[in-house]
Amino acid sequence: MKLLITGLSHKTAPVHLREKLAVAESALPDALHQLQNLGASEAVILSTCNRVEIALTAPDHMTPGLIMDRFLADWQGSATAFEGHIYRLESREAIQHLFRVASSLDSMVVGEPQILGQLKGAYAIAKTEGAVGGLLETVMTRAFSVAKRVRTETGIGQMAVSVSYAAVELARKIFGSLQGHSVMIIGSGKMGELAAKHLHRSGARKIFVTNRTAERAEQMAALFNGQAVDYTRFLAMLPEIDIVIASSGAPHYILHREDMQRVIAARKNKPMFLIDIAVPRNIDPAVNDVEGVFLYDVDDLEGVVNANIKERSKQAEQAEAIVTEEVERVLSRLKIEAVTPTIISLQEQLEQIRSAEVTRALRRMPNLTLDQQQQIEALTKSIVNKIAHGPISELRRNAGQPEGEHVIEAIRKVFHL
Amino acid sequence: MGESSLLWLRVAAGLYSLGLLDAIITVLRRRESLFRPALTAFGLGALFHLVSIVEQGLTQHHFPANDIFETLSLCAFAVTLTFLGIYWRYKAESLSVFVFPLVFVMTLVAALRNPVSHWQSESVRNTWLIIHIVLAVAAYAALFFTAVAAVVYLLQERQLKRKQSLAIYRIFPPLGTLDELISRTLGAGFAFITISIIIGVVWAHIEYGTSWIDNGVISTAFATWGIYLALIFFRVSAGWRGRKAAILAIVALCCSAATWIAHAQLEKRLQ
Repeated sequence: MKLLITGLSHKTAPVHLREKLAVAESALPDALHQLQNLGASEAVILSTCNRVEIALTAPDHMTPGLIMDRFLADWQGSATAFEGHIYRLESREAIQHLFRVASSLDSMVVGEPQILGQLKGAYAIAKTEGAVGGLLETVMTRAFSVAKRVRTETGIGQMAVSVSYAAVELARKIFGSLQGHSVMIIGSGKMGELAAKHLHRSGARKIFVTNRTAERAEQMAALFNGQAVDYTRFLAMLPEIDIVIASSGAPHYILHREDMQRVIAARKNKPMFLIDIAVPRNIDPAVNDVEGVFLYDVDDLEGVVNANIKERSKQAEQAEAIVTEEVERVLSRLKIEAVTPTIISLQEQLEQIRSAEVTRALRRMPNLTLDQQQQIEALTKSIVNKIAHGPISELRRNAGQPEGEHVIEAIRKVFHL
Repeated sequence: MGESSLLWLRVAAGLYSLGLLDAIITVLRRRESLFRPALTAFGLGALFHLVSIVEQGLTQHHFPANDIFETLSLCAFAVTLTFLGIYWRYKAESLSVFVFPLVFVMTLVAALRNPVSHWQSESVRNTWLIIHIVLAVAAYAALFFTAVAAVVYLLQERQLKRKQSLAIYRIFPPLGTLDELISRTLGAGFAFITISIIIGVVWAHIEYGTSWIDNGVISTAFATWGIYLALIFFRVSAGWRGRKAAILAIVALCCSAATWIAHAQLEKRLQ
């Protein structure tokens, strides 16, 4: 059985080419059936905004590349449109690529978790359509395990790589769970809204919004089932607030060190997280010196993101090593699987000869006791096992080797398998 | 000390114990559930305390500050009056976490002036001592975790302040979790050590008569308890976290170690 993966990704093709090859989810069953009609034994199609991957297996006597060409020609009009951008990977490279994609090592943002879900979705559709059930299924399910191992053994997916998500990560580092914590949004900047959205999604339920324009505050509060607060009152409310997101257009500082000293004293030193994503900044940087107050501006958050990206790259190296190890493991398993039918038929053949000969011999010696009969059984089994040991070891050793085919063929001929 | 004067002092200590209970509940649950009844009992206890002091003075025909027991009783009464005055003026409830246990322990010690003849049985004596030791060990363990969590809190806080993103800090729990851990271990440790101290004092009173009050080991134990009390007070009333809390927790841990060593020496001497 041969395995081929063909595809385009954000690394090899611009979006106008990727969208040409993209297959809508509703069209996936038809595309899978078409691949099978063209001769593919199995097929899976992954189509996302960043990549299109078509994986198929074909019997040994067929050429999977030809099946793919005919599919691309039928499905997209021409295979040549993608020349220079499309990649074709077979056997080991195909498995390695699949493992890397599943583990998010080939993603635009390395370590992002969505790709694994998308791959599982593509596999589920193929399974429903009866398009998997052999080599490709083995490799796909292994890819999911590899991705899980990569996430467990490395910290690749643990660090935020966007400014707004970095704010959530920091809030979690300060408060632990965000459940029940309160957030005050000052101003109506887009970044502030995005950070508040992430915080809301992470469990922060009490959201207050203040703005010089009361109407705008009410509009934004409605987005989070929050409460609009009069701009003149927000400072008085701060002791009840855990997280402040400042993104107003004020040209000067609206929160000073003295304000925060009073607020933190009223909070009995309970920590407070201030996110200043306004430019010009809304919060005096000296506020960070107040004990229990953690102030991060845009540059600080970007610093966190950059450090996380670097850390992810380090983790990616470790993840690549895991992928390589897993590829070797799956290949050796597949090689053994390839010679397994030969081994089984050899064992059956020898057992058939042994049992026939033993039956004949016992018929000629009717006076043997049960114990003697059992001894003969054990003796013959031992002889047969010793005879089979050599060829079986050779079969396993030569599985998947370039010249192994001849050895396997020779053994099959010798034993009439 | 006159018999009836001692009786009134013991009644006062009994009433003050409700204050101690309130303080322990406040520390463990972090809400004042028993404060009102405890305050009433505290006021009533102060009245009995006053009666005890006056009667002692009248019986002995001099100001009742002759020895450490009488002085402790007077000090406890002075603290009680001051607290009631402050509460009446400023409604400063949070002070009670510090004052209630302090007044109770001082009054208890003052009420243990007259020696009890001896233990009724050896097994009661040993059980009493075992409970004291087990509770003390549990309190030290809780304090150890408080100190460790406080130090980790300090490191984590510093890292967040400096805006560093070092991988090592990722393994530390969030500040909120550490704070919760500190509150719980501190509260449990305080309850253990307070009960342990009370049991220890009563044991020493029966074992050594009145001579135990000068014992260095017991003084060290009281010092540790005092630091624990201060730690609780600053945390509950002023919300001490970070550097101050970490330093105080480490000091308390060192005092506990000193008490432990002192006790080990005492064991040797007893053997």
